[in-house]
Amino acid sequence: MSNKRKEFSKIYDQCINKIYRFIFLKVNSQEISQDLCSETFLKGWEAYKNNPNIENPSAFLYRIARNLVTDHYREKARAQFVSPEMVSVIDPNPGLEEKSALNSDLDQVRAVLADLKEDYQNVIIWHYLDDLPIAKVAKMLNKTEDATRVTLHRALKNLRNEIDKREIKET
Amino acid sequence: MKEKELISQLQQLRQIEPSKDWVISTKNQVLGESPKFTLFPYLKPAFAGLVSVFVLFGLFSFAQSSVPGDFLYTFKKITEKGQAIFVSEQEKPQTSLELANKRLEELTKIAEANQVKKLTPAINEFQASLSEAARSLSRMEATSSDPVANKKLVEEVKKLDKNKQLVEEALGVVFGGQEFDELQEVSEKLEVKLVIDDLETRTLNEEQAEILNRMKELVEEGKYSEALGLLGELNQ
Repeated sequence: MSNKRKEFSKIYDQCINKIYRFIFLKVNSQEISQDLCSETFLKGWEAYKNNPNIENPSAFLYRIARNLVTDHYREKARAQFVSPEMVSVIDPNPGLEEKSALNSDLDQVRAVLADLKEDYQNVIIWHYLDDLPIAKVAKMLNKTEDATRVTLHRALKNLRNEIDKREIKET
Repeated sequence: MKEKELISQLQQLRQIEPSKDWVISTKNQVLGESPKFTLFPYLKPAFAGLVSVFVLFGLFSFAQSSVPGDFLYTFKKITEKGQAIFVSEQEKPQTSLELANKRLEELTKIAEANQVKKLTPAINEFQASLSEAARSLSRMEATSSDPVANKKLVEEVKKLDKNKQLVEEALGVVFGGQEFDELQEVSEKLEVKLVIDDLETRTLNEEQAEILNRMKELVEEGKYSEALGLLGELNQ
Protein backbone atom coordinates (compact mmCIF):
# COMPACT_ATOMS: atom_id res chain seq x y z
CA MET A 1 0.00 0.00 0.00
CA SER A 2 2.77 2.43 0.88
CA ASN A 3 4.31 1.84 -2.56
CA LYS A 4 1.03 2.67 -4.28
CA ARG A 5 0.73 5.73 -2.06
CA LYS A 6 4.22 6.85 -3.06
CA GLU A 7 3.46 6.35 -6.75
CA PHE A 8 0.16 8.20 -6.55
CA SER A 9 1.86 10.93 -4.56
CA LYS A 10 4.18 11.45 -7.54
CA ILE A 11 1.23 11.50 -9.95
CA TYR A 12 -0.45 14.06 -7.68
CA ASP A 13 2.61 16.31 -7.72
CA GLN A 14 2.88 16.07 -11.49
CA CYS A 15 -0.79 16.69 -12.25
CA ILE A 16 -2.25 18.87 -9.50
CA ASN A 17 -1.53 22.22 -11.15
CA LYS A 18 -2.73 21.12 -14.57
CA ILE A 19 -5.94 19.55 -13.30
CA TYR A 20 -6.68 22.56 -11.10
CA ARG A 21 -6.14 24.94 -14.02
CA PHE A 22 -8.21 22.72 -16.32
CA ILE A 23 -11.14 22.87 -13.90
CA PHE A 24 -10.67 26.54 -13.06
CA LEU A 25 -10.79 27.59 -16.71
CA LYS A 26 -14.16 25.85 -16.97
CA VAL A 27 -15.86 26.89 -13.74
CA ASN A 28 -14.25 30.30 -13.09
CA SER A 29 -14.30 29.87 -9.31
CA GLN A 30 -11.47 29.18 -6.94
CA GLU A 31 -13.70 27.50 -4.38
CA ILE A 32 -15.48 25.25 -6.86
CA SER A 33 -12.17 24.45 -8.59
CA GLN A 34 -10.66 23.37 -5.27
CA ASP A 35 -13.67 21.19 -4.43
CA LEU A 36 -13.81 19.52 -7.82
CA CYS A 37 -10.03 19.15 -7.99
CA SER A 38 -9.76 17.43 -4.61
CA GLU A 39 -12.69 15.19 -5.56
CA THR A 40 -10.91 14.32 -8.81
CA PHE A 41 -7.80 13.17 -6.94
CA LEU A 42 -9.84 11.35 -4.30
CA LYS A 43 -11.63 9.36 -6.98
CA GLY A 44 -8.34 8.88 -8.81
CA TRP A 45 -6.65 7.52 -5.66
CA GLU A 46 -9.56 5.17 -4.92
CA ALA A 47 -9.31 3.78 -8.45
CA TYR A 48 -5.52 3.62 -8.35
CA LYS A 49 -5.57 1.66 -5.08
CA ASN A 50 -7.59 -1.08 -6.78
CA ASN A 51 -5.77 -0.96 -10.08
CA PRO A 52 -2.35 0.69 -10.14
CA ASN A 53 -1.83 -0.38 -13.78
CA ILE A 54 -3.78 2.54 -15.21
CA GLU A 55 -2.16 3.15 -18.59
CA ASN A 56 -2.17 6.93 -18.54
CA PRO A 57 -2.88 8.31 -15.05
CA SER A 58 -2.87 11.90 -16.25
CA ALA A 59 -5.51 11.20 -18.96
CA PHE A 60 -7.47 9.21 -16.39
CA LEU A 61 -7.51 12.19 -14.01
CA TYR A 62 -8.57 14.56 -16.80
CA ARG A 63 -11.46 12.21 -17.58
CA ILE A 64 -12.59 12.25 -13.94
CA ALA A 65 -12.26 16.04 -13.84
CA ARG A 66 -14.31 16.43 -17.05
CA ASN A 67 -17.07 14.22 -15.65
CA LEU A 68 -17.11 16.14 -12.39
CA VAL A 69 -17.32 19.48 -14.22
CA THR A 70 -20.18 18.12 -16.32
CA ASP A 71 -21.95 16.88 -13.17
CA HIS A 72 -21.36 20.26 -11.56
CA TYR A 73 -23.06 22.12 -14.42
CA ARG A 74 -25.88 19.61 -14.47
CA GLU A 75 -26.40 20.13 -10.74
CA LYS A 76 -26.22 23.88 -11.19
CA ALA A 77 -28.83 23.85 -13.97
CA ARG A 78 -31.14 21.82 -11.73
CA ALA A 79 -30.57 24.19 -8.82
CA GLN A 80 -31.27 27.23 -10.97
CA PHE A 81 -34.47 25.60 -12.09
CA VAL A 82 -35.56 25.03 -8.51
CA SER A 83 -34.27 28.30 -7.13
CA PRO A 84 -33.67 31.14 -9.58
CA GLU A 85 -31.74 33.22 -7.05
CA MET A 86 -28.81 30.81 -7.20
CA VAL A 87 -26.71 32.93 -9.46
CA SER A 88 -23.80 32.57 -11.78
CA VAL A 89 -20.86 30.24 -11.14
CA ILE A 90 -18.49 33.17 -11.25
CA ASP A 91 -16.91 33.49 -7.87
CA PRO A 92 -17.90 36.76 -6.14
CA ASN A 93 -14.62 36.63 -4.17
CA PRO A 94 -11.94 35.71 -6.61
CA GLY A 95 -8.69 34.36 -5.24
CA LEU A 96 -5.24 35.74 -5.84
CA GLU A 97 -4.74 33.67 -8.96
CA GLU A 98 -7.98 34.93 -10.37
CA LYS A 99 -7.23 38.52 -9.43
CA SER A 100 -3.99 38.47 -11.33
CA ALA A 101 -5.81 37.16 -14.36
CA LEU A 102 -8.76 39.51 -13.96
CA ASN A 103 -6.50 42.51 -13.73
CA SER A 104 -4.93 41.77 -17.06
CA ASP A 105 -5.98 41.43 -20.69
CA LEU A 106 -5.99 37.73 -20.12
CA ASP A 107 -9.37 38.10 -18.50
CA GLN A 108 -11.02 38.40 -21.85
CA VAL A 109 -9.26 35.38 -23.30
CA ARG A 110 -10.18 33.37 -20.22
CA ALA A 111 -13.80 34.44 -20.28
CA VAL A 112 -14.18 33.61 -23.96
CA LEU A 113 -12.41 30.30 -23.52
CA ALA A 114 -14.86 29.38 -20.77
CA ASP A 115 -17.74 30.03 -23.17
CA LEU A 116 -16.39 27.79 -25.94
CA LYS A 117 -17.82 24.33 -26.39
CA GLU A 118 -16.17 21.62 -24.32
CA ASP A 119 -14.10 19.96 -27.04
CA TYR A 120 -12.68 23.30 -28.13
CA GLN A 121 -11.80 24.23 -24.53
CA ASN A 122 -10.09 20.89 -23.94
CA VAL A 123 -8.06 20.86 -27.11
CA ILE A 124 -6.80 24.41 -26.46
CA ILE A 125 -5.96 23.75 -22.81
CA TRP A 126 -4.18 20.46 -23.46
CA HIS A 127 -2.21 21.59 -26.48
CA TYR A 128 -1.35 25.21 -25.69
CA LEU A 129 -1.35 25.28 -21.90
CA ASP A 130 -0.31 21.75 -20.99
CA ASP A 131 1.98 21.36 -24.02
CA LEU A 132 0.59 17.95 -24.91
CA PRO A 133 1.48 16.85 -28.44
CA ILE A 134 -1.35 16.36 -30.94
CA ALA A 135 -1.03 12.58 -30.74
CA LYS A 136 -1.78 12.59 -27.01
CA VAL A 137 -4.58 15.11 -27.32
CA ALA A 138 -6.09 12.93 -30.06
CA LYS A 139 -6.01 9.93 -27.75
CA MET A 140 -7.68 11.85 -24.95
CA LEU A 141 -10.37 13.16 -27.28
CA ASN A 142 -10.74 9.72 -28.81
CA LYS A 143 -10.23 11.21 -32.29
CA THR A 144 -7.70 10.76 -35.09
CA GLU A 145 -4.74 13.12 -35.18
CA ASP A 146 -6.05 14.78 -38.32
CA ALA A 147 -9.46 15.28 -36.79
CA THR A 148 -7.77 16.69 -33.68
CA ARG A 149 -5.76 19.17 -35.78
CA VAL A 150 -8.98 20.29 -37.45
CA THR A 151 -10.68 20.66 -34.04
CA LEU A 152 -7.72 22.65 -32.73
CA HIS A 153 -7.78 24.92 -35.78
CA ARG A 154 -11.51 25.50 -35.41
CA ALA A 155 -11.20 26.04 -31.66
CA LEU A 156 -8.58 28.72 -32.13
CA LYS A 157 -10.57 30.35 -34.90
CA ASN A 158 -13.69 30.40 -32.73
CA LEU A 159 -11.78 31.84 -29.82
CA ARG A 160 -10.30 34.63 -31.95
CA ASN A 161 -13.68 35.45 -33.55
CA GLU A 162 -15.37 35.63 -30.15
CA ILE A 163 -12.64 37.90 -28.76
CA ASP A 164 -12.87 40.14 -31.81
CA LYS A 165 -16.65 40.31 -31.46
CA ARG A 166 -16.42 41.33 -27.80
CA GLU A 167 -13.77 43.96 -28.57
CA ILE A 168 -16.05 45.49 -31.24
CA LYS A 169 -18.94 45.50 -28.75
CA GLU A 170 -16.83 47.24 -26.12
CA THR A 171 -15.72 49.96 -28.53
CA MET B 1 -5.82 39.56 -32.94
CA LYS B 2 -3.17 37.51 -34.66
CA GLU B 3 -2.91 33.77 -34.01
CA LYS B 4 0.61 34.03 -32.54
CA GLU B 5 -0.49 36.74 -30.14
CA LEU B 6 -3.51 34.70 -29.13
CA ILE B 7 -1.42 31.58 -28.48
CA SER B 8 1.02 33.62 -26.40
CA GLN B 9 -1.90 34.97 -24.34
CA LEU B 10 -3.27 31.48 -23.92
CA GLN B 11 0.11 30.32 -22.68
CA GLN B 12 0.09 33.09 -20.11
CA LEU B 13 -2.93 31.42 -18.54
CA ARG B 14 -0.43 28.91 -17.15
CA GLN B 15 0.07 31.34 -14.29
CA ILE B 16 -3.25 30.10 -12.89
CA GLU B 17 -2.15 27.87 -10.06
CA PRO B 18 -3.64 26.67 -6.82
CA SER B 19 -2.12 27.95 -3.57
CA LYS B 20 0.75 25.84 -2.23
CA ASP B 21 -0.92 25.38 1.18
CA TRP B 22 -4.04 24.05 -0.45
CA VAL B 23 -1.99 21.66 -2.61
CA ILE B 24 -0.24 20.21 0.46
CA SER B 25 -3.35 19.94 2.64
CA THR B 26 -5.37 18.37 -0.19
CA LYS B 27 -2.62 15.84 -0.82
CA ASN B 28 -2.67 14.82 2.85
CA GLN B 29 -6.43 14.66 2.76
CA VAL B 30 -6.51 12.55 -0.41
CA LEU B 31 -3.77 10.14 0.57
CA GLY B 32 -4.87 9.97 4.19
CA GLU B 33 -1.60 11.32 5.50
CA SER B 34 -1.42 13.72 8.37
CA PRO B 35 1.40 16.24 8.17
CA LYS B 36 4.32 15.23 10.35
CA PHE B 37 6.33 17.82 12.15
CA THR B 38 9.63 16.60 13.46
CA LEU B 39 12.49 18.56 14.88
CA PHE B 40 15.68 18.00 12.92
CA PRO B 41 14.23 15.35 10.59
CA TYR B 42 17.67 14.76 9.10
CA LEU B 43 18.84 13.52 12.51
CA LYS B 44 16.14 10.83 12.65
CA PRO B 45 18.26 7.83 11.54
CA ALA B 46 21.10 8.86 13.84
CA PHE B 47 18.65 9.37 16.69
CA ALA B 48 17.10 5.94 16.13
CA GLY B 49 20.57 4.40 16.16
CA LEU B 50 21.46 6.22 19.36
CA VAL B 51 18.26 5.13 21.09
CA SER B 52 18.90 1.51 20.06
CA VAL B 53 22.42 1.67 21.49
CA PHE B 54 21.09 3.12 24.77
CA VAL B 55 18.34 0.53 25.02
CA LEU B 56 20.76 -2.33 24.33
CA PHE B 57 23.31 -0.90 26.74
CA GLY B 58 20.62 -0.57 29.43
CA LEU B 59 19.34 -4.07 28.75
CA PHE B 60 22.78 -5.66 29.00
CA SER B 61 23.67 -3.65 32.11
CA PHE B 62 20.39 -4.55 33.78
CA ALA B 63 20.91 -8.20 32.82
CA GLN B 64 24.11 -8.39 34.89
CA SER B 65 22.13 -8.78 38.11
CA SER B 66 19.94 -11.55 36.68
CA VAL B 67 20.17 -15.19 37.79
CA PRO B 68 19.61 -18.44 35.84
CA GLY B 69 15.95 -18.87 34.94
CA ASP B 70 15.44 -15.11 34.46
CA PHE B 71 14.48 -13.75 31.04
CA LEU B 72 17.46 -11.39 31.03
CA TYR B 73 19.94 -14.13 31.94
CA THR B 74 20.52 -14.87 28.23
CA PHE B 75 21.79 -11.30 27.78
CA LYS B 76 24.17 -11.77 30.71
CA LYS B 77 25.57 -14.92 29.08
CA ILE B 78 25.93 -13.10 25.76
CA THR B 79 27.92 -10.35 27.50
CA GLU B 80 30.19 -12.91 29.17
CA LYS B 81 30.76 -14.78 25.92
CA GLY B 82 31.50 -11.48 24.19
CA GLN B 83 34.04 -10.59 26.86
CA ALA B 84 35.61 -14.06 26.64
CA ILE B 85 36.53 -13.40 23.00
CA PHE B 86 38.97 -10.74 24.11
CA VAL B 87 40.62 -12.88 26.78
CA SER B 88 44.03 -14.36 25.91
CA GLU B 89 44.68 -18.13 26.19
CA GLN B 90 46.85 -17.57 29.29
CA GLU B 91 44.14 -15.61 31.09
CA LYS B 92 41.37 -18.07 30.21
CA PRO B 93 41.76 -20.37 33.28
CA GLN B 94 41.57 -17.35 35.58
CA THR B 95 38.47 -16.00 33.78
CA SER B 96 36.73 -19.36 33.76
CA LEU B 97 37.36 -19.75 37.49
CA GLU B 98 35.96 -16.28 38.11
CA LEU B 99 32.89 -17.25 36.12
CA ALA B 100 32.50 -20.45 38.16
CA ASN B 101 32.61 -18.34 41.30
CA LYS B 102 30.01 -16.01 39.78
CA ARG B 103 27.72 -18.98 39.07
CA LEU B 104 28.17 -20.08 42.66
CA GLU B 105 27.19 -16.60 43.87
CA GLU B 106 24.05 -16.80 41.71
CA LEU B 107 23.29 -20.17 43.20
CA THR B 108 23.69 -18.72 46.70
CA LYS B 109 21.34 -15.85 45.83
CA ILE B 110 18.71 -18.29 44.57
CA ALA B 111 19.10 -20.53 47.62
CA GLU B 112 18.78 -17.53 49.96
CA ALA B 113 15.66 -16.28 48.15
CA ASN B 114 14.27 -19.83 48.16
CA GLN B 115 13.52 -19.66 44.41
CA VAL B 116 13.04 -23.38 43.98
CA LYS B 117 12.20 -23.20 40.25
CA LYS B 118 15.47 -21.49 39.43
CA LEU B 119 17.55 -23.91 41.44
CA THR B 120 17.93 -26.55 38.71
CA PRO B 121 19.05 -24.16 35.94
CA ALA B 122 21.42 -22.49 38.41
CA ILE B 123 22.98 -25.81 39.45
CA ASN B 124 23.35 -26.79 35.78
CA GLU B 125 25.01 -23.47 35.01
CA PHE B 126 27.42 -23.93 37.91
CA GLN B 127 28.32 -27.51 36.86
CA ALA B 128 28.92 -26.32 33.29
CA SER B 129 31.14 -23.48 34.45
CA LEU B 130 33.01 -25.87 36.70
CA SER B 131 33.70 -28.25 33.80
CA GLU B 132 34.84 -25.35 31.65
CA ALA B 133 37.18 -24.15 34.42
CA ALA B 134 38.61 -27.65 34.88
CA ARG B 135 39.14 -27.96 31.11
CA SER B 136 40.91 -24.64 30.73
CA LEU B 137 43.01 -25.27 33.82
CA SER B 138 44.19 -28.67 32.59
CA ARG B 139 45.05 -27.12 29.22
CA MET B 140 47.27 -24.46 30.76
CA GLU B 141 49.01 -26.41 33.54
CA ALA B 142 51.81 -27.69 31.33
CA THR B 143 52.62 -24.37 29.75
CA SER B 144 52.10 -21.88 32.55
CA SER B 145 55.14 -20.77 34.44
CA ASP B 146 54.04 -17.36 35.66
CA PRO B 147 54.09 -17.64 39.49
CA VAL B 148 51.84 -14.58 40.00
CA ALA B 149 49.16 -15.97 37.69
CA ASN B 150 49.46 -19.41 39.26
CA LYS B 151 49.07 -17.92 42.73
CA LYS B 152 45.90 -16.15 41.65
CA LEU B 153 44.52 -19.38 40.21
CA VAL B 154 45.19 -21.23 43.42
CA GLU B 155 43.46 -18.49 45.42
CA GLU B 156 40.47 -18.60 43.06
CA VAL B 157 40.13 -22.37 43.44
CA LYS B 158 40.33 -22.02 47.24
CA LYS B 159 37.61 -19.36 47.15
CA LEU B 160 35.50 -21.63 44.96
CA ASP B 161 35.99 -24.52 47.33
CA LYS B 162 35.00 -22.41 50.32
CA ASN B 163 31.86 -21.03 48.67
CA LYS B 164 30.94 -24.43 47.33
CA GLN B 165 31.07 -25.92 50.78
CA LEU B 166 28.81 -23.15 52.11
CA VAL B 167 26.21 -23.71 49.38
CA GLU B 168 26.43 -27.46 49.77
CA GLU B 169 25.75 -27.10 53.48
CA ALA B 170 22.82 -24.76 52.85
CA LEU B 171 21.21 -26.93 50.18
CA GLY B 172 22.30 -30.32 51.44
CA VAL B 173 23.63 -31.26 48.01
CA VAL B 174 27.14 -32.08 46.77
CA PHE B 175 28.26 -30.39 43.53
CA GLY B 176 31.07 -30.82 41.15
CA GLY B 177 32.12 -34.40 41.73
CA GLN B 178 34.82 -35.41 39.30
CA GLU B 179 35.19 -31.96 37.73
CA PHE B 180 35.88 -30.33 41.04
CA ASP B 181 38.34 -33.06 42.04
CA GLU B 182 40.24 -32.44 38.79
CA LEU B 183 40.18 -28.74 39.46
CA GLN B 184 41.52 -29.24 42.94
CA GLU B 185 44.22 -31.57 41.75
CA VAL B 186 45.51 -29.04 39.24
CA SER B 187 45.29 -26.33 41.85
CA GLU B 188 47.24 -28.42 44.39
CA LYS B 189 49.83 -29.20 41.78
CA LEU B 190 50.27 -25.49 41.07
CA GLU B 191 50.37 -24.67 44.75
CA VAL B 192 52.96 -27.29 45.63
CA LYS B 193 55.07 -26.12 42.71
CA LEU B 194 54.86 -22.57 44.02
CA VAL B 195 55.88 -23.76 47.50
CA ILE B 196 58.81 -25.80 46.21
CA ASP B 197 60.02 -22.92 44.05
CA ASP B 198 59.76 -20.60 47.03
CA LEU B 199 61.59 -23.00 49.36
CA GLU B 200 64.41 -23.45 46.91
CA THR B 201 65.21 -19.75 47.07
CA ARG B 202 65.50 -19.85 50.90
CA THR B 203 68.24 -21.06 53.24
CA LEU B 204 66.98 -24.26 54.83
CA ASN B 205 68.32 -26.32 57.77
CA GLU B 206 68.87 -30.04 57.33
CA GLU B 207 65.45 -31.01 58.58
CA GLN B 208 63.72 -28.55 56.28
CA ALA B 209 65.83 -29.67 53.32
CA GLU B 210 64.73 -33.23 54.10
CA ILE B 211 61.08 -32.23 54.08
CA LEU B 212 61.60 -30.44 50.78
CA ASN B 213 63.11 -33.57 49.26
CA ARG B 214 60.16 -35.64 50.48
CA MET B 215 57.80 -33.12 48.98
CA LYS B 216 59.54 -33.37 45.64
CA GLU B 217 59.30 -37.16 45.75
CA LEU B 218 55.57 -37.01 46.49
CA VAL B 219 55.09 -34.58 43.60
CA GLU B 220 56.84 -36.99 41.25
CA GLU B 221 54.46 -39.69 42.44
CA GLY B 222 51.53 -37.37 41.76
CA LYS B 223 50.60 -37.14 45.45
CA TYR B 224 50.12 -33.39 45.56
CA SER B 225 47.82 -33.12 48.57
CA GLU B 226 50.18 -35.25 50.62
CA ALA B 227 53.09 -33.06 49.55
CA LEU B 228 51.11 -29.99 50.66
CA GLY B 229 50.40 -31.75 53.96
CA LEU B 230 54.14 -31.64 54.68
CA LEU B 231 53.93 -27.85 54.81
CA GLY B 232 52.68 -28.12 58.37
CA GLU B 233 55.78 -30.02 59.39
CA LEU B 234 57.95 -27.44 57.71
CA ASN B 235 56.48 -24.60 59.78
CA GLN B 236 56.88 -26.41 63.11
